[in-house]
Amino acid sequence: MKYFAITFLLFFSIDSFAQDNRFGKVSEEDFKTYEKPINPSDNATVIYKNHDIKFKFIEGSGFVQINEVHERIIIHTKEGFNWATKKIRLYNRTSSNSERLQNLKGYTYTLENGKVEKEKLRNDGMFEEVANKYWKYESFTMPNAKEGCIVEYSYEIMSPYSQIDDIDIQYTIPILQYELKIATPEYYMYNKLLNPKAAYNPTISESRKSNSIKFNNKERSDGYVTRTGFSQSTLDYTENILTINATNIPALKEEPFVDNLDNYRAKLIMELTATKYPNEPVESYSTTWENVTKTIYNDENFGDQLKKTGYYEDDLNALINDETDALKKTYLIHEYVKSKMKWNGFYGYTSENGVRKAYKDGVGNVGDINLMLISMLRTAGINANPVLISTKNNGIPLLPTRSGFNYVICAVVADNNAILLDATQKHSAPNILPVMSINWLGRVIRNDESSDWVELTPKTPSKEVISLNIKLNEDLSASGKVRSQYTDYQAYGKRDRFENFSNEQMVESLEKNKGELEVSNLEIENMNNVTQPIMQSYEFLLQNAMEEIGGKLYFTPLMFLAPKENPFKEDKRNYPIDFVYPIADKYMVNIVLPEGYTVESIPESTKFEFNGTEGAFTYISRQNGGMLQVTISLDLNKSLILASDYEQFKKFYQFMIEKQTEKVVLKKV
Amino acid sequence: MIIRLFLLLVLSSASLPTFSQEDPLLVSLLIPSELTKNSNAVVRWDDVNIEVKAYNKMVYNNKRIVTILNSSGDSKHGAVMFYNDNTNIKKLEVKIYDAFGKEIKKFRKNDFEDVSAVSGGTLYSDDRVKYMNYTPTTYPYTVLFETEVEYRSTAFLQGWYPIEGYFTSTQNSNYKINNISGVPIKLKTSNFEDYGIEKISDFEYSAKNLSAINPEEYSPDFYNFAPVLKASLTEFDMEGVKGVNNDWKDFGQWMNDKLIKGTEILPEKVKQDIKSLTANADTNLEKAKIVYQYMQDKTRYISVQIGIGGWKPMLASDVDRLGYGDCKGLSNYTKALLDEAGVESYYAIIYGDRDIRNIDSSFSSVQGNHAVLCIPHETDYIWLECTSQTTPFGYNANFTDDRDALVITPEGGKIVHTTIYKTEDNLLDTKASISLSETGDVSANITTKSYGTQFGRHEGVQKQSQKDQKLHYKEYWSYINGLNVGEMDYVVDRESIVFTENIQINAERYASKTGNRLLLQPNMLNRVESAPKRYQERKIPFEMERGFTDIDEYEIAIPNSLEVEALMEDVSIKNEFGEYVATISQIADNKLLYQRKFVINKGSYKKEDYESFRKFWLDVVKYDKAKIVLISKN
Repeated sequence: MKYFAITFLLFFSIDSFAQDNRFGKVSEEDFKTYEKPINPSDNATVIYKNHDIKFKFIEGSGFVQINEVHERIIIHTKEGFNWATKKIRLYNRTSSNSERLQNLKGYTYTLENGKVEKEKLRNDGMFEEVANKYWKYESFTMPNAKEGCIVEYSYEIMSPYSQIDDIDIQYTIPILQYELKIATPEYYMYNKLLNPKAAYNPTISESRKSNSIKFNNKERSDGYVTRTGFSQSTLDYTENILTINATNIPALKEEPFVDNLDNYRAKLIMELTATKYPNEPVESYSTTWENVTKTIYNDENFGDQLKKTGYYEDDLNALINDETDALKKTYLIHEYVKSKMKWNGFYGYTSENGVRKAYKDGVGNVGDINLMLISMLRTAGINANPVLISTKNNGIPLLPTRSGFNYVICAVVADNNAILLDATQKHSAPNILPVMSINWLGRVIRNDESSDWVELTPKTPSKEVISLNIKLNEDLSASGKVRSQYTDYQAYGKRDRFENFSNEQMVESLEKNKGELEVSNLEIENMNNVTQPIMQSYEFLLQNAMEEIGGKLYFTPLMFLAPKENPFKEDKRNYPIDFVYPIADKYMVNIVLPEGYTVESIPESTKFEFNGTEGAFTYISRQNGGMLQVTISLDLNKSLILASDYEQFKKFYQFMIEKQTEKVVLKKV
Repeated sequence: MIIRLFLLLVLSSASLPTFSQEDPLLVSLLIPSELTKNSNAVVRWDDVNIEVKAYNKMVYNNKRIVTILNSSGDSKHGAVMFYNDNTNIKKLEVKIYDAFGKEIKKFRKNDFEDVSAVSGGTLYSDDRVKYMNYTPTTYPYTVLFETEVEYRSTAFLQGWYPIEGYFTSTQNSNYKINNISGVPIKLKTSNFEDYGIEKISDFEYSAKNLSAINPEEYSPDFYNFAPVLKASLTEFDMEGVKGVNNDWKDFGQWMNDKLIKGTEILPEKVKQDIKSLTANADTNLEKAKIVYQYMQDKTRYISVQIGIGGWKPMLASDVDRLGYGDCKGLSNYTKALLDEAGVESYYAIIYGDRDIRNIDSSFSSVQGNHAVLCIPHETDYIWLECTSQTTPFGYNANFTDDRDALVITPEGGKIVHTTIYKTEDNLLDTKASISLSETGDVSANITTKSYGTQFGRHEGVQKQSQKDQKLHYKEYWSYINGLNVGEMDYVVDRESIVFTENIQINAERYASKTGNRLLLQPNMLNRVESAPKRYQERKIPFEMERGFTDIDEYEIAIPNSLEVEALMEDVSIKNEFGEYVATISQIADNKLLYQRKFVINKGSYKKEDYESFRKFWLDVVKYDKAKIVLISKN
């Protein structure tokens, strides 16, 4: 097999010289050819990567999955030295269901006086670390790594599982030549998908091949005398073969404000959909979204948990009492579960501890808590259903699979609207979910096992409304009062961040980096009342609020609340910006001018938009005797800014910041 | 209460008392109110009892009760135990109580999570940790944690920290060593007087009712002002190796003889290489530089912590073959190479940290977290950081500068202070020619030169990709809206340790137009934008660990159609904290010269001086913001 792959390569080799990809065959030519990185910023380049996945039949164990990996990397700079170290995570439970690393070998090649020298990876460069009761790490670091060296290693991972891990086809450095071959026996059926969000995707080719297994059969004949005999038999089967042969795979580059860079990586997903052994019925794992949700619903740790009611019935009756209004009941139950249950930090849509035990302990995973919530709502006569979700760090589910989901929330249907609930977070509220769970779409499963997609992205803007009353004083200071209101996600964020802050610490945080500002009489309401907006008010004294230049006074109406810089600094983007929720910010500023001064100029009123109705900024200024009024508003109606709209968006933001920092000029009467 | 606690203390040496449910320490509601102020957790009771049985055997007993007041205090329960092969955890038990003192949960030893204790950046270490994974259901709650651990290594004798960090108060804390080994034990206490800590006997102390401390900016290291007790055996065991520790001299001697000696042997070929490379060098300094370069080209930093508790360096011959090592291995390897070149050098133990942290010169014990090399040179020492492939020879700013280190010589250990980078040497010199357009657009050619500590802060940019370099300048001058970065060019002078950046930038509407005037902020390239925080009452003294000097000089060309209407006034301030000078003058019809000097001195100050320190910074912020007015000639 291996031999076949190699001849194939030699034929189609794209390089100008006959590169030899066999392990250990590194020549002087390789150093010359690959010395220079494609982009000056590449710290290393993968010259060659071969990944071979196959299933081998072992008597007594059945099919064993073998991943053979062979990589050859040239390191260009000292910053690229981390490519000389590799850490591999292996599942490590008991001896029969653990993954195993074997046949690890490696060499570092350097060019010394025009000759290739090599240094072997020995045992003292290999490390095994048992991380916890589930995982262990096998790591190795290559000897004698220097700028310009080539490291090469190969290893095999033996796994008793038929599931194939997602296969990364893209690194943060370029891959010049990439070969993947996956040979799976006909008994295992997989869905194959390349990440459609990736900017780069290779072509897949598929073929078949026949193979056979030889068995040693042990036979017993039952009769008056028991005899044991041995015979050999052969089973012929077909292998499905998938190959990718790609060249010049570009590097995946980091950008700020990306939801999860891995969502944009070129990768191949192989989802096990069914197994069919000879003379056995098909066992299906997942095929369509309908089937996936049905399977999940019928899981004893999911559907059955929704049906259990006995453990909370008395408490629920006491809670609901004779309340009949559906919305009020929903609110009561949601608040009750939030205060009764604490999240143990574990995800998962299934119940980890069983809802009964979780309820008794007051602790559970996401499944425990939210399935319990749904069950209680249903018992109270509310139309509540589970919604399966993949969190942001789990990526977006691309194929109908059970493992594509890792979270569950609750949807309550009320007047044709869905209200989304999550009881794992202290500060969540109806339609206010933890940010990590707001990832595109969720799959709602109804009581009759039918299912559908629901939008998770919030549609109502989260607001910040600030009124600023300012009196300007002759000593160039400003004093006044600020009243602010925060709703929805803007309130959620503050509740999380300032949860354990004392009033003194809150004052310090308001004053931080705001110049000579002194805050007093700070009052905050509804910090813990999640259904109401946070109301905050304080008085302030700001020294040097105005600048005196040539007898004139200059100041910015927003004072210490004016933004300082545009957070969007790159010229171009490859990935979208994720704001999570729509935003509506409003500032109303009233300014009493100092005695003896009058307005020379004020910033003009203006309005500009981003992408039609997706964003709008307005600035309205008005002078009224000794008073100045400025109203500023920003509306971002869309929470995801596409990479193709980035340049326009950056400009929009820049104008907005320039406008907010524009000065009022006062002159002496 | 007091009587009961006294009884507990008496009892604790014999057998640990058991608490009943009614015990007031388990009830959150009974905490004195002065202990809950600014506090996330209250240590109700912490009783450390160490029995030293022999130079290589000690038993650590701890019973602690901690009330956690809110989610920020969760980690303060302290139910965590690090261990390795030389540790025998005999007891590890937790009980959790609700606010009324009712037991709600129990963890036995096997209920603890057991994971490897490999910190970030380390490839391998054989240390492990057991910790309690508990999700609190209500606040406050109280954790009773009992441990008994037997150690065969006595090198790390537990000290005592009656205040366990910021936002944490202590109701009762007791510490006792019962020494039946016959080996003398040394103790050192600091800051005990300020907190009324009671000495019960030579090896027994008690603290009561210590309020929580809030963090404040520019504070010294916490244990510079909070109480701390250090303890150490004069004869100890480190993973099977017997050690001596009466003072730094014999402790250093022990390190030299038992940990370092015998690790320095190099392959013959390397010896020859070094000999031939340094053959033509005249001075030891030249030789050392050649050797250092050789080491930097050949090796890289990989942290693998094995071998006598992570204290024995890898063999020099292994470092040579593998081309990597950790701080100990690389320092020791460099030492072996220098020996071969005939240059004397010493292995040194130090705290590597951006914050300045000393090896305690007055108390010898196992200290430090890093190893470097030092070369005696004339009357001073040159310090070599051996874990970086790019650091210039002798450069140790920002990580190992200005602190006491333990230098290991064949004649024993001694404490030596590392290089101090002086205020005037930590220079950032920015020169620019700026040209302004009629509409307020600017373009500028900028040259910055950084020296001393500022070299280390600036030099990293040249290693980044061009895209990241541009982003770096957009962050560096983040207040210039719509900044475009053009040509970037760098010169790293490793010999004199100077980093030069030549940068072209431009920005639209930098100067704002109001009517027929342009408002221009001449300090375009080096602004102080924020000052230290205000505190209603500063409680902790403060310090500037390193001084620095910034010098700026910008020539600003203005278009012919504009003339100066108003310039800002010259400013000059000088005080104990530093110096600030800013001037602007018209040097030609269409040319202005802006000059600025900003100096912050190194120093330690009383808390009473904090307001004037803050005022100085606020003034700098204000004057950096100053603007000039240009008016149209027509």
